[in-house]
Amino acid sequence: MIVTYNWLKEFVDFDLPPAKLADLLTMLGLEVEGVTPCGEGMDDVVVALVEERAQHPNADKLSLCRVNNGKEVLSIVCGAQNFKAGDKVALAQIGATLPGDFKIKRSKIRGEESCGMLCSEKELGLADESAGIMILPADLPLGLPVFAALGLKDTIFEIGLTPNRADCLSVIGIAREIAAKLGTKVRHPAFTLEDNGPSINDKASVVIEDAQLCPRYTARYIEGCRIAPSPRWLVNRLNAVGMRSINNVVDVTNYVLLEYGHPLHAFDFDLIAGEKIIIKRAGEGEKFTTLDGQERTLTANDLTIRDASRGVALAGIMGGENSEIKDNTTNILLESAYFNPTAIRLTSKRLGLHTESSHRFERGADVSVLARVADRAAALIAELAGGTIAHGLIDVHPSPVFPRTITAHLDRINRTLGITLTADEVTTIFHNLEFAVTQTEPGVMAVTVPLFRVDLEREIDLIEEVARLHGFENIPATMPKARVFSDRPPRSQRMERDVRSLLVAQGFNEVINFSFIAPDAYDRLLLPPDDPRRSAVKLLNPLVAEQSVMRTTLLPSLLETAAANISHRELNLRLFELRRVYHPRPGEELPAEPLHIAAIMTGRREPEGWCQGSDMVDFYDVKGIAETLLSSLQMPPMEYSSEAPESFYHPGKSCTILSGGKPVGSLGELHPDVQENFSLSQPVYYLELDFNRLLSHAHEREAVQAPSRYPDVARDIAMLLAEEIPATRVLECVRGVRLKELDNVAIFDLYKGEHVPAGQKSLAIRVRYRSPERTLTDDEVTRSHQRVIDALTAKLNITVR
Amino acid sequence: MKDKLEALLVLATADLAQADSEDAVQELRVRYLGKKGELTAVMKGIGALSPEERPLIGQVVNTVRDQLEERLAAALATVRSRSKELRLQSERLDVTMPGRLRPMGTKHPVTLVTEEIADIFAGLGFQVAEGPEIELDYYNFEALNFPKDHPARDMQDTFFVDDNVLLRTHTSPVQIRTMLKHAPPVRIIAPGTVYRCDSDATHSPMFHQVEGLMVDKGITFGDLKGILTIFVTQLFGSGTGVRLRPSFFPFTEPSAEVDIACVICKGKGCRVCKNTGWLEILGAGMVDPEVFRHVQYDPSSISGFAFGMGIERIAMLKYGIGDMRLLFENDLRFLRQF
Repeated sequence: MIVTYNWLKEFVDFDLPPAKLADLLTMLGLEVEGVTPCGEGMDDVVVALVEERAQHPNADKLSLCRVNNGKEVLSIVCGAQNFKAGDKVALAQIGATLPGDFKIKRSKIRGEESCGMLCSEKELGLADESAGIMILPADLPLGLPVFAALGLKDTIFEIGLTPNRADCLSVIGIAREIAAKLGTKVRHPAFTLEDNGPSINDKASVVIEDAQLCPRYTARYIEGCRIAPSPRWLVNRLNAVGMRSINNVVDVTNYVLLEYGHPLHAFDFDLIAGEKIIIKRAGEGEKFTTLDGQERTLTANDLTIRDASRGVALAGIMGGENSEIKDNTTNILLESAYFNPTAIRLTSKRLGLHTESSHRFERGADVSVLARVADRAAALIAELAGGTIAHGLIDVHPSPVFPRTITAHLDRINRTLGITLTADEVTTIFHNLEFAVTQTEPGVMAVTVPLFRVDLEREIDLIEEVARLHGFENIPATMPKARVFSDRPPRSQRMERDVRSLLVAQGFNEVINFSFIAPDAYDRLLLPPDDPRRSAVKLLNPLVAEQSVMRTTLLPSLLETAAANISHRELNLRLFELRRVYHPRPGEELPAEPLHIAAIMTGRREPEGWCQGSDMVDFYDVKGIAETLLSSLQMPPMEYSSEAPESFYHPGKSCTILSGGKPVGSLGELHPDVQENFSLSQPVYYLELDFNRLLSHAHEREAVQAPSRYPDVARDIAMLLAEEIPATRVLECVRGVRLKELDNVAIFDLYKGEHVPAGQKSLAIRVRYRSPERTLTDDEVTRSHQRVIDALTAKLNITVR
Repeated sequence: MKDKLEALLVLATADLAQADSEDAVQELRVRYLGKKGELTAVMKGIGALSPEERPLIGQVVNTVRDQLEERLAAALATVRSRSKELRLQSERLDVTMPGRLRPMGTKHPVTLVTEEIADIFAGLGFQVAEGPEIELDYYNFEALNFPKDHPARDMQDTFFVDDNVLLRTHTSPVQIRTMLKHAPPVRIIAPGTVYRCDSDATHSPMFHQVEGLMVDKGITFGDLKGILTIFVTQLFGSGTGVRLRPSFFPFTEPSAEVDIACVICKGKGCRVCKNTGWLEILGAGMVDPEVFRHVQYDPSSISGFAFGMGIERIAMLKYGIGDMRLLFENDLRFLRQF
């Protein structure tokens, strides 16, 4: 909503500069989002008299003028043709700055000096287009700044209204708020209505066929109007609030709309068949052309205004092309009606047609103001376009609406807000808001709210009004008296933080990608057609197709992120994301939203530097990250299985991670085709874990062991064994011997190639023996170690090298 | 013989004075005290002495040996300490060369701010609650007093999955889910991801909010002011101005927008605060009785407040980020700064 300072002053007295007024409005809940002075810095554009206009000696199209600014007579060159000696004009003097930072300087034009410029309305920012310079009224005093002389010095306020405040979609509505806060009264526009024409009932009739969608319809009839451009004051007002002037009649309907906030419509009544207005729903599939020239298809839910034979307006939204005011219109029917908010909203939304009128009706108009608004507009039309107002007002009111009375309890007001107002103070606030108050018993008030406040229905609404008018700033800040209760944050929340911290400590940067991705991402991952991750939640109205399905895996977004970073030469990446994925569940309305951990590694293992290693990361780096993370999170030992690799991995360099036989994630090197599909120029390693499943496997920390006081003995075994035997089998086999003295076993070397027979590999392990009770003897260790070797030989057919 | 021994000691002492390395000292030990050393050589003459002389000379030998040992040890200590000193003098690193770096990562700024907010509210006794991002219309709108076909729904451009299912436009549905599950008192915050169809420098189709809800006996609007004032001063520093001004949300009444004094210009007026001196950072209000009705709470016996804030907005203010899109481009050059 845009209002101006001067316009507000017509309806309410206040003594506040614009900045203070803006504060007052904002603190009432009418947020001022912009304050723009109009005519500021334009004092060097003054009223001047053209004393003489002569032909420029050196240019056919220019004239050389002598212009009097009240102090001196200046020589001015001007290119416009629409003025003569004796006209008063707007003179931009030397030193003036016009809109667009156009500075006026002394200049010579074709050899003749020009000490300023005669301005057009366009050059002064008063109109979008203008033909020739601005000719001012003859009675303006010379030398006065033009903006001040014309009353154009004003301040424009842009107010961001919340949808509940339909009553403030007008200058009077906002003035009413100022009056309520200042404890003064609003002045309504003064006008004289002379409806001395023939009776309106001889001219027109109105029938409401759908009283539910149109509870009230009023109309005025004006005959013999002359359509013409609007007077300057009206054009200026409309321009100031960003509205274009059309003609005197349409401008009046818009002006009164802005004044009162109630939409009006003017019909060319000579185009109305049967001199009759009928309000009823459209026929299903009916075609109707609105006055913007668009043909629209209506449904039986759309309310229309009709004449004896056809639709003439889309009720409360826009008039029809077939009955709009034209230059030759003479007889006008002025509509001031009330329409059902929901019906207007549904039609306006379905047609994508949002107008000043629909905006107000769908928020709830004031049903009690119709007649006053019709009278005001009729009087103004008669004043500006001539014509005679027919006697009387048509007022069809099948379902009268009465003001609401709400009970308010003083103690509830005070208790909700944490204040201590008296009944008198609250009553004053209500009176200032134009509410009628009756005290029914001590501390209980029956409050009748005017019909323009469609937002007030319940006691809490009145409590809010008290808070607003009392001033939020006057409510003391207190600390709640609350009951003590506490739970620790659940394990999941603690573990989330742990995961982030652990990965950050391992060099990973956390990223956050959009939850919606491109539908072809799953193809680019080479997911098989029956992969459940392909059935993703789809958006009905995505912003772009690339953001239209909810991701079922974090992989595609991380690959895109990696590619984007690599493209600006960030070649060494460790990125992670801890976010939800969305898995539809059959038979459920809402999908599952498990939290996933995903990490990506590519490039060098160590940061670049003079003393850093330059090796590239490989499979065992990403596996090490997984193992470190899982063990830090107190996870039980996991199984890493190379069976059934995921489609997006290198089949030989990837694995599924299982806990208790159930998959909890996967890791590996990206498949070269997937790498290509995501435009990645270097090998990429990926890890994805289902956080929720991990959580279900997490166990509490076990009791710790005191370290042994006795020395350990380490024995190595270098062995040859079949290539396909996984290393875990070797370790399991050693542990399987169940030796009391076995302290620890670890692999320290793996070798394939020269000196190792084909189909075999060389593996070296170190076994540590230690007793918690005593120092082991050499014999004991040798005996134990032999049992280990025997077990390996028997079960895995190894050869000790 | 005694003279010989004493001469030996003098000689050895002189030699030791010349010794400038550990090796040289060891060599002298061998020369004087070794099996084939000088002392041994002198002692070979003991056999030729008379039985009366033997113990006397034996005594002299012991004294000389002890003194030799002592002087050798002293000489050894001297050369060791000298060579240590020399080593310490000669070993010089350029300590300005960069150290051997380990990879170190960063948390996302949205995470940092979320954790900070959660920590502040944890101190005030608020627990963290969660809810689904893909949500039913009922929880996102209906139960929060946004009737179907009401203009209030225009405040939040919604992504739909079908007529009934949508991407939540705010974290407020967690209020409903929490109250349906727990009887009062309730004291939660609910950080989470939310979605609106909107994209420009200050709007992202996906962003994050933190919702807060406190319901108990006798909670007032003044308490809301108190809690939010504490929160703002903890997040932005003590002395940060806070102002509540009336606003409208369907699920709170009275409703307020909460502004803080502009952190850029300290309230004087600048481009960031559009010359108002204030920055809007959260919406709040007293829980609307209609919302209590949906969760079967009795508004005549309890009351409460709710608030919600955009995490990105706060991150942008805290870190001076001008364009919200930077937060989701995941450019390492940006992320590394956190």
